[in-house]
Amino acid sequence: MGKKRKHAEASEAPKEEVAEERPKRTLLGWKDGVPEKQNSSPVFRNREKVLVTCSRRITYRFRHLMLNVVSLLPHCKKDSKVESKESKGATLNELIELRNCSSCLFFECRKQKDLYLWMVKCPGGPSVKFLVNAVHTMEELKLTGNHLKGSRPILTFSLNFDKEPRWKLIKEIIVQIFGTPKGHRKVKPFHDHVFIFSIVDGHIWFRNYQISVPHNETDKVDRGGLDKMTLVEVGPRFCLNPIKIFGSSFGGPTFYENPFYISPNQIRALEKKKKAGKYSKKVKAKTRRKMHELANPLEPDEFADLWKD
Amino acid sequence: MVALRGKELKLNEEELEDCDVGDVDDEEFESESESEPEEVAVTEPTKNAVYNREALLEKLDDIAWPQNVEWIHKLTVDHAVEQEVDVNDDLARELAFYTQALDGTRQAFEKLQSMGIPFLRPPDYYAEMVKSDGHMLKVKGKLLVEKKKIEEAEERKKAREAKKLAKEVQAQKTKERAKRKKEDIESVKKWRKQRQQSGFARGKDEELDLSPDEEKSYEKSKKRRTGVAPGDRSGGFRRKGGNEKGTKKREFREAKFGHGGRKGMKKQNTAESTNHFKSFHKDKFSASKRQKK
Repeated sequence: MGKKRKHAEASEAPKEEVAEERPKRTLLGWKDGVPEKQNSSPVFRNREKVLVTCSRRITYRFRHLMLNVVSLLPHCKKDSKVESKESKGATLNELIELRNCSSCLFFECRKQKDLYLWMVKCPGGPSVKFLVNAVHTMEELKLTGNHLKGSRPILTFSLNFDKEPRWKLIKEIIVQIFGTPKGHRKVKPFHDHVFIFSIVDGHIWFRNYQISVPHNETDKVDRGGLDKMTLVEVGPRFCLNPIKIFGSSFGGPTFYENPFYISPNQIRALEKKKKAGKYSKKVKAKTRRKMHELANPLEPDEFADLWKD
Repeated sequence: MVALRGKELKLNEEELEDCDVGDVDDEEFESESESEPEEVAVTEPTKNAVYNREALLEKLDDIAWPQNVEWIHKLTVDHAVEQEVDVNDDLARELAFYTQALDGTRQAFEKLQSMGIPFLRPPDYYAEMVKSDGHMLKVKGKLLVEKKKIEEAEERKKAREAKKLAKEVQAQKTKERAKRKKEDIESVKKWRKQRQQSGFARGKDEELDLSPDEEKSYEKSKKRRTGVAPGDRSGGFRRKGGNEKGTKKREFREAKFGHGGRKGMKKQNTAESTNHFKSFHKDKFSASKRQKK
């Protein structure tokens, strides 16, 4: 412990010369606007803290997904469940403030069926609402990988994240939330897993792989080791369908709205309607047939009493 | 306290407004979907969807880290996807993700290597893992079971093929045997004819010629009888004719209940049993006698 502190002091020492330039930070964030640009030259420190929580009445599968995410993010703080009411935004904002966090992942479960994920930058930042599909948790036995808890992930993005403003914004939010801060106290100094975020079909797909590379030293891969590198999937898996981007945290003006999005409620309603239509169609067909029969009656059969005698 | 509550109320109002907006949108969605046929709604974008690019970019500027942040803070890698993948093709999709991850990791590792900082886990570094040991044991067990399953299936397949082959070989053999028999019979007939023609002269020489043939036939019959139980009166044909399932069942039952061998020995007295008086009840006999009287 003592050793560690010494280390920190040593790294702090050169900073003190420029200490006056550094902006003050309040509980709510930076005191004056966008300070990163000012202090970018001396040091950049990522002090991201993510609040992870979920709504009440969440199902076990989604809760496990949340717990998996918690285990992947050493810089997160897990909080107790929040009632998913209309005023949840206010309570959550307060909660984030209380826990001194700068962003939030909120897993909202509705009707015990649909999972929505809110990615929020807290003081005044934008918030993105996703519908979560294709959930596989880490507990599934076919995901055989494993990695250190708290090692920093490598984030890989598909190139189509840079094509449109909305994807750019989402990418920045993901980098800040899912990227583990360097030098965080819970972080282990090795890199043994990789996150991928890929946009396919307008959805963001997430995967987490363990990296296994042949090596003897800690700072060098064996010769040709990069070619022998293999990845084993660790999980979880999920697929995010962006619904809306809001201007501030948990609310505010809508900046983007997915035109292709149809809520699962509507899909279910349509299915129900189809099923309901089946019966009414049958009834209709029956009445139509009756009407038809009444309209054109059969001709009297001339051979009807031929064999009666 | 009051101030706090006031703030909350304000927030609530904001939230409510937002919710209203959302609700209105939902209604629009519904009305559209009602008027339209079912599937078209999925592919056709709604006309009045909001997309405020300028605001998005502004927000991005607000929250973004400075441009010249060192890469080590971000650890991000971009990967160009060569071609569009079909989402519904699970294998292709996962492969695309895997290649993206692999490619990205290679790039990242090269960068890390060039920085010269330790980034790989030494083999003697033990620390908490994401998945517990118990869970990993389960995973291992499942893998083993799967492997075993595959092996068993392969074995079954092999056995099936071997059986097929054996059948073919057997058919070939019987064919050959029949052919040989025919030839033998013919040769004997020929010999008889020759003898008749020659008027049974020089008999001895001919017989000498034939003797190896006869020996062969004898040998053959002996060969057929290998593996036949000495008490088997069918000459070894019973086993061949009976279907395998039936004989198997029979064998099992015989093993269980006993078949063959001498039964009488069990009931006969031995020296031991004659000297054994425990099972002999004298009273029983006397009592029964008395009752009779």
